[in-house]
Amino acid sequence: MSPTQDLSNLSDAELMRMEREVAARHLNKFPYFAVFWAFSNLAIWLALWPLVFMGIIPLWLGFIIATANVTLSYLPSHEAQHDIIAKPGSKLRWLNQLVGHTSTLPLVLPYQVAKITHMDHHKHANDPDLDPDYSTHADGPLHAIWKSLYNRQPRANGGFNAYGEVLQRKGRMDVILISVAYQVVHFGTLFALAWSGYALEAALLWWIPRHIALTYIQYYLSWAPHNPGLTKGRYRDTRSFRSILGNIGSLGMQYHIIHHLHPRIPLYRTPRAYWEMKPILEARGCDVHAL
Amino acid sequence: MVQVIKSIFYLGPLLFGFGFLTPLISQIIQAVGWTLPFGLTPLMTGLIVGGTYGLIAQIRGRWI
Repeated sequence: MSPTQDLSNLSDAELMRMEREVAARHLNKFPYFAVFWAFSNLAIWLALWPLVFMGIIPLWLGFIIATANVTLSYLPSHEAQHDIIAKPGSKLRWLNQLVGHTSTLPLVLPYQVAKITHMDHHKHANDPDLDPDYSTHADGPLHAIWKSLYNRQPRANGGFNAYGEVLQRKGRMDVILISVAYQVVHFGTLFALAWSGYALEAALLWWIPRHIALTYIQYYLSWAPHNPGLTKGRYRDTRSFRSILGNIGSLGMQYHIIHHLHPRIPLYRTPRAYWEMKPILEARGCDVHAL
Repeated sequence: MVQVIKSIFYLGPLLFGFGFLTPLISQIIQAVGWTLPFGLTPLMTGLIVGGTYGLIAQIRGRWI
């Protein structure tokens, strides 16, 4: 199938059959790089602390590396959230869960919180009342950055505060308590470091990198692929887009539409799947004009 | 239980102001070597600035 082929005369059933054929070629691929990424990224971030404390690397360099680490910490967990590394009941399931739980530690985002709210996002994308990520919707790039920061304010209704509401609605008190424990450990660590004379290190290796990372992640993983986010439905709630930073700079999100249609396709396979599926997506009326 | 958790976190901005911003501001002042007026020490300045900012955030419900 050529990427420019016109399939608009095909029936829904025929389009679905073709879409599934393309998806099948990219499913059940073990994401070796995501697993390596998860553990190496966490190891580097943890290593920064003694390296900076012992003066082996300067704090400004530690800050740059930590910001990259925390920003890159979400995506391996995202693969785990969708059971891409290993399905429930399979031999490597422990690895899937280990990646899920450990990779987002620098982000102070418990795996259970990420998984439950992300599944709800897939189920209710762009629904103002039910999509946990709806608060990232914005009028433009600068507004999206502002919304990300605004949603993190103590009494804001969006962002992680909205996640709390979702968990409460679902009766997941156990997960709320895990989230509280993460926050207590995070802030307890920051306070202890600060009052021990390491406030600058705490700020530049964790506190500020985390805020930069959350803004970057919410911009590219939530706002950009769903903008303008006015419509709901399988072929309407997300899109492809072109980032000035390219696909790697946008954390692999240019082809996010593939992820929403077939969430178990690994991140590294979404570009190939997109180009193979593009005529089908065009025939479905998807917003795939940017790429 | 949710109310208990909300109550604990309610004072978050104030705690953050005193628990983190105070020593952070104090150590920034020391790192850049600023000379403070009125005989203020870096820690006193940290307490005033960090505590006040935390109090404002506590009242407004937002830092920015």
